[in-house]
Amino acid sequence: MTCRRLSIAGLLLLGLVALAGQAGAQPCLVFVHGKQTDTNTYTSYTSARNYWINGSNDFIRTATKSFAASYYVVGYNGTRPYWDAQAAGEVANEIVNATNGGADGGGRRCAKTFAQGGTFIVVAHSMGAAVMDYILGNNDTSDPNFNYNGPYDQVAARISMAITVGGAHRGSQGADAVCGNNNLFCNFIALFIQSCDDATYWLRSSDDVQVRTFANAPAKTVYLTGGYEAIFGSSACLNGEDDGVVQYASIYACNGSATASYDNSNVCGNTSKQESSGFRNLDAGHENHDDERNDSDSDVRKAIPGGIWTCSGVACAPNTTVQSSMTSARLISILY
Amino acid sequence: MRKMLFGVGIAMFSLAAGMSVETPATAQEIAYPGAAARFARETAKDYRLQARYPESSKALEKGAADPVKAKRMPTRQSMRGPEGEGPALGVWASAVAYQSPEPVDLFAQIEAASPVALQEVKGEISNIDGDLIASFVYRDDGRGADRRAGDGIYSARVALPAGTEPDFAESFQVTAVARLAGGELRQSVGGFLYGKPSARLTGRYRDEVRDGSLVIAAEVEVAEAGRFHLAGTVTSMAGEPIGTAQAALELQPGRRWIELAFYGLMFQDRKAAGPYRLGSIALTTATRMPNALSDLVENAYVTRGYRLEKMTQKAYGESHLTETANRLEGEAFLLDLQEARQ
Repeated sequence: MTCRRLSIAGLLLLGLVALAGQAGAQPCLVFVHGKQTDTNTYTSYTSARNYWINGSNDFIRTATKSFAASYYVVGYNGTRPYWDAQAAGEVANEIVNATNGGADGGGRRCAKTFAQGGTFIVVAHSMGAAVMDYILGNNDTSDPNFNYNGPYDQVAARISMAITVGGAHRGSQGADAVCGNNNLFCNFIALFIQSCDDATYWLRSSDDVQVRTFANAPAKTVYLTGGYEAIFGSSACLNGEDDGVVQYASIYACNGSATASYDNSNVCGNTSKQESSGFRNLDAGHENHDDERNDSDSDVRKAIPGGIWTCSGVACAPNTTVQSSMTSARLISILY
Repeated sequence: MRKMLFGVGIAMFSLAAGMSVETPATAQEIAYPGAAARFARETAKDYRLQARYPESSKALEKGAADPVKAKRMPTRQSMRGPEGEGPALGVWASAVAYQSPEPVDLFAQIEAASPVALQEVKGEISNIDGDLIASFVYRDDGRGADRRAGDGIYSARVALPAGTEPDFAESFQVTAVARLAGGELRQSVGGFLYGKPSARLTGRYRDEVRDGSLVIAAEVEVAEAGRFHLAGTVTSMAGEPIGTAQAALELQPGRRWIELAFYGLMFQDRKAAGPYRLGSIALTTATRMPNALSDLVENAYVTRGYRLEKMTQKAYGESHLTETANRLEGEAFLLDLQEARQ
């Protein structure tokens, strides 16, 4: 009898071990791109997929551990305001489609549906972060813009978390410069943002366009990482550390002024965010805004206040070098 | 570098003293033993804590700022000069949002240790289409919106020209250009919301404890049918924020009541018996985007006294959070098994 019990327990354990080795034990990663100067990522899957690629470098390949984890690529209209039906509405519908086992534009599906017990992590870059803040902050019937143009409630219920990379949570001073026609000072940044279209207008730093003005705290935790590698010229337009397009106050969803100057030592911790809960720091990488999303610059990573790295059992001091060569995509790959 | 050990606290990766280059990633590599499982567990732990409250009502940490008030407090936008040269020009408005037909008070200041006199500061208001709505001059003369002459804060009070006011609500951009004493230019961009909210708070409130939660009802006068969002922060009588509540409803014209249910557990957690102060309350007409924001009302109301025993001690159990926590913990378990196998 004892032997029989042991063998049943052993079989059970073996089964679990086998299960653990399958992709099914891993979450599905859902990728949400950033601001666009045209509608290509909305109309063409190839464009949406290529957003994450630079030559032989592929953010999605690295983040999914060479595709060991399943993934789904979202494409939305990155020229529209973050709250628009073709932005937040499209993203919400696509995420729900992913959780239902539907295919993305390239035929990719998550390995398990939500109903089958699957888990889902949204990875968003740049403006994709503002889109996710709007969705996750308007998921409840008591929120100001509940399900404004899509199934925000289902998104919030089904994803495990969001990870934003160089997220424009509080907009971008680059958008301020472009929409203010500040070509005299910030012509370099115009190369990246190009025009003050509706999406750019809604990514300015002022309170009237901030996501937090129109949303509540995110229903699921938004983890924050970003870059501090300057881009010649454009970084001069941004206060404090930045990735050449988005300043730290925005990447790390800080409360107070969206143009406050921060660096790796003093960027806002987890209790000083744009909402009273729901945002947590990861770390910072020496990547610029493009490097962050295409896995092309494996470089130094630094600890920041409230971040995830510990040194000898305690939180690493802010600005400590915690990795000498790691991309944001690689960081994400070790989080699940 | 020594392989990662496991840290303490929130989902941390520990880092041994002395760094080395991480080897290139390979599929299924476990370079950080236990890290992913711990990250999942810590996230799950957060969700279990959050699940103690409904999404519509949250407790605040002791010493936390009032989040309802914070969202209605205008912030400053600043930008430096060419090549990042200082000093920067900061701009701000007196409010996040204005209600028609009130004028807009706008400010600009060179960010320096002591007041900086400027040759001139000019401003423009434009809409999302880039149409020029108004041009104006900021002054530091102690008149109108300017509180004190010569303090380096340049001010302007601007009324939107007839015909430019939005039917519902709209965002407007403010572009300020300052000429320094030496002739150098500084530019900064801010903005404000301008709208016609479809309802207003009448100033009438009532309160009761229902099902173990504090319910404060606020009367609103609805001029036009729409969706309305109300958020409030309850504080101790000394003004220490305790928690928030929000509600959103479709309402028809007339006098209506909107109830804010402050989940009773927040009072237990803080051991705070009543009376309580409604420290801030903010009404929004959320019929469409952008929303039309009404003015924040501070210290709006004081409730009756309530004994702590009347408040619930039961965790709410927000289902989507507990469900996600279960799944993350399951994933962490499988990750541990996977690592044990390797």
